[in-house]
Amino acid sequence: MAALPKKLLRVALIVSVLGGLYLLALERHAERDRMRAAAVELTPGCKAKLAGYALAPGDVYSSPYVRRMSNAWITARGYSAEDVRAIERGCNIFDDLQGHLAQDASERWYARRFVRGSHTTCDHCHQSIGDKQDAAGNRLVGSNSMAASWVMADMYDRFTGLLLPHELRQMQCYINSSNGFKPNAADDLMRDVTAYSRFLSAALDMKIGNHYLEQGIAEIPASATLKRGDDYVRGAYLFKEKCAGCHGPQGLGIVVDGKAVYPAVAGPNAYSMDSRMNFAMVNSVMPGFICRNMPPGAEGSLENQDCRDIAYYLGTLPRAAGDRQGPLVAAWQQLMMTVMPPLTRYAESLVGNRPLHDAD
Amino acid sequence: MNALAAALPQILPALRGNLLVGLTLAVVTLPQAIAFSTTLAGLPPHFGIYAAIWGVLFTALLNPSRVFSGGPNTTMSAAVGITLLPVAPQYGTDYIGYALTLILLAGLIQLLFALIRPLGRMLDLISEPIIDGMICGIGLFLVFKSLTTFAGLPVNTEVEWPLWIAWHSFLAVLEFGNLYAIQIGLITLVASLVARQFDALRKWAILIGVAAGTSYSAYLGSTVGLENTMVEQIGNLGPVGFVFPSLPVFNQEALPNIISILPGAVTLALLGLFQTVAAMRRMSRKIGAFTDSRKGIFSDAVSNCLLPLLSSLPTCASFNRMWLVYSMGGNSRVTSALSAFFLLLMVLFLAGVIAIIPMPAMAAIIMLLGVNMIKWEDIRPHLRDRREAVVFLASFLSVLFLDLFGAVVVGSILAIAYSKWEQANPKVSLRGNVLKIRGNIYYGSLPVIESTYHQAIARVDNLVIDFSDCYYIDPEGLRWLAAAKAGHNVGFVDRRAGPDRRAQAEALDRRDGEERRSAEADARRDRRQGEERRENLRRRTRDRRQRSEF
Repeated sequence: MAALPKKLLRVALIVSVLGGLYLLALERHAERDRMRAAAVELTPGCKAKLAGYALAPGDVYSSPYVRRMSNAWITARGYSAEDVRAIERGCNIFDDLQGHLAQDASERWYARRFVRGSHTTCDHCHQSIGDKQDAAGNRLVGSNSMAASWVMADMYDRFTGLLLPHELRQMQCYINSSNGFKPNAADDLMRDVTAYSRFLSAALDMKIGNHYLEQGIAEIPASATLKRGDDYVRGAYLFKEKCAGCHGPQGLGIVVDGKAVYPAVAGPNAYSMDSRMNFAMVNSVMPGFICRNMPPGAEGSLENQDCRDIAYYLGTLPRAAGDRQGPLVAAWQQLMMTVMPPLTRYAESLVGNRPLHDAD
Repeated sequence: MNALAAALPQILPALRGNLLVGLTLAVVTLPQAIAFSTTLAGLPPHFGIYAAIWGVLFTALLNPSRVFSGGPNTTMSAAVGITLLPVAPQYGTDYIGYALTLILLAGLIQLLFALIRPLGRMLDLISEPIIDGMICGIGLFLVFKSLTTFAGLPVNTEVEWPLWIAWHSFLAVLEFGNLYAIQIGLITLVASLVARQFDALRKWAILIGVAAGTSYSAYLGSTVGLENTMVEQIGNLGPVGFVFPSLPVFNQEALPNIISILPGAVTLALLGLFQTVAAMRRMSRKIGAFTDSRKGIFSDAVSNCLLPLLSSLPTCASFNRMWLVYSMGGNSRVTSALSAFFLLLMVLFLAGVIAIIPMPAMAAIIMLLGVNMIKWEDIRPHLRDRREAVVFLASFLSVLFLDLFGAVVVGSILAIAYSKWEQANPKVSLRGNVLKIRGNIYYGSLPVIESTYHQAIARVDNLVIDFSDCYYIDPEGLRWLAAAKAGHNVGFVDRRAGPDRRAQAEALDRRDGEERRSAEADARRDRRQGEERRENLRRRTRDRRQRSEF
């Protein structure tokens, strides 16, 4: 008879552990529900952007942008209060993924944990909160527009030929910058960012299935230069001259009060080795980004070859390994990221402030 | 017909014990088959189902082992998906063609392993702690892998470090998993666990769990509505018929792609064979039987050459289903054949019932299988010996941090290194003028022997080397012995040559003090008896020296 109480005890133990986990799940679900129901505190950038597109709950939606640019009056199905909150949350994530501008940084806990380091936010690459325009309001070619990306959702990926839902394309961004795991495709994070991108495409009146030139980065392949070859030594020189003022001498970014004022382009806080921004991975994307967007205020001042050289130099700086490269590469990169900055600083202190190249 | 009628009384009792095991096996295999083909291999679900029917049947017919159970496999399915990702879009016609070619190539490579004996023997170098480490790792992996399906969430198909993914899948389940799915999964788990506690219901536990989960899911469907619960079900298998012939792609346009998937084919073949050989050996020992691994390799190879003609995933041993058959006490040849038969019947006639089985219930069952694979009684013996513990832990952690292949490589390197270290460190002791060597005399152990030997000849005049506990001397060792004999005039003792060596060895062990005298007597006899042998040795060494001078 001693066996029966023992069995009962075992069953009771298992059931109570499973029941405890279920109660924990109920509690966490309630937390998510509270988050979905709570009013959203917008960042200044998002406030301006969404007000400009007149986002509000209602039965119909009509974009002021389309009215202004084309004098057309187009109405679309409106957004519920819940939709509006999702779009606002998505915009906040885009503008300020790390929660630097939020009242409480833990507000973005469900997004921040999938991204490596304390600098990265979507806005760094998808500039102007995923919707870059010139002063007249014209959208810019190759500006990584999220609206143009959404309308190409569920199209065949041109690299792999696979049917690529927007969620999975978004996942590739987390792979590029993530710290070892990426969100589940059903996470609120994915839904909110998708909701925001989708709203942008409605506000700009972009048509689903069309390819717009705003999508992606206008790449600069070697064929767009005089083909004298990429040179990371020259890239280092240019970086010192043009970029180091903001991004720091070794591209580690500038942080004030725990907030990244200028993001890192190397080291543990920057994009990983698996990213398409990494010159060693795809050698035409980063040059394109630099030529289009850098330095701020003087965009377009760099030659194509300059951008390629700078991107090549960035590719030689130590950065975190990608998720698919395995633990050995990750450990090696960690070592490099720890050892190289002080070594480089020491080596440069020997040279002093003399330029790296003597002007012959 | 009469012969069959006569044989029936003998066949029926054997069948009766295995019917339930076969049915359970069929029910357990079905969701795995569907999940493996759609989420891992990127192929339509009927590929997994045909692997669970024809793959299981072929291996049951060809493999004489009583514990072997084949069918679709996690790592092989994942290998198919990973290899073909850059070749063609998944689920497409091209993709399916290349998948069939890949499986056929893997089958042909496995056939090479079956035909070339030393290649097959290489697979035997996987030791028991490696296999047990792999089993525990796969068990945990199955639990993690099922978490998302358990909560009705999409599955992450990317290959990454499984532990991180597992932790975040767990958080995802807690934070935004489908609560209806979680309820169904929990009810399945609890029903199955409670049923296990009663001996009469123990064998039915899995079926009871699935039935409880399915009934609750049906109840939810009628009260809340399937459109609100959004719980995924196995779905309609109507289009799956009896047999679906197919042909691998092989033409001139496809040739570059076929060449590019050759390394993938080698990996696929090895992954299958590793698991087959390891699982067969482990489980055979559990029931105290032995089956030549070559037969397993052969049956896998032939099956994998035939399966691409039947629209099927590749087959190899399945640890979790073999555990199931073992723990339920079935004979796997009979149960596998029965399970294939049941599965065929189920797919043909019970498609409507199968269709409403919820996926969370299936995930719960796979989790249970995973937990059952981790058995403390199997782990404990490995933890007693430090070397085995290290190999076990290395293999276990490699499954979790690298992959199955990595576990085999890391574990094998450690195990081989340990055994080589053992061989390279013979026990050398000097008692009186007797230098006793226990172990091998070969190029690796000679430095260890030499260090004591040179101390000995400096101290002792008439040294005697006793190598009666040596079981292997390589040519280099022979040359060294000959040189020692010629150079320092040492004597040799090899009690294996004497007529009463057992008695003498016992006497030697008993009387430590008389060691020296006995050894001298041995040395005298050795000199007398082995004169001719030594002469030969000397002549050979001389000959070799002369030859090398040319």
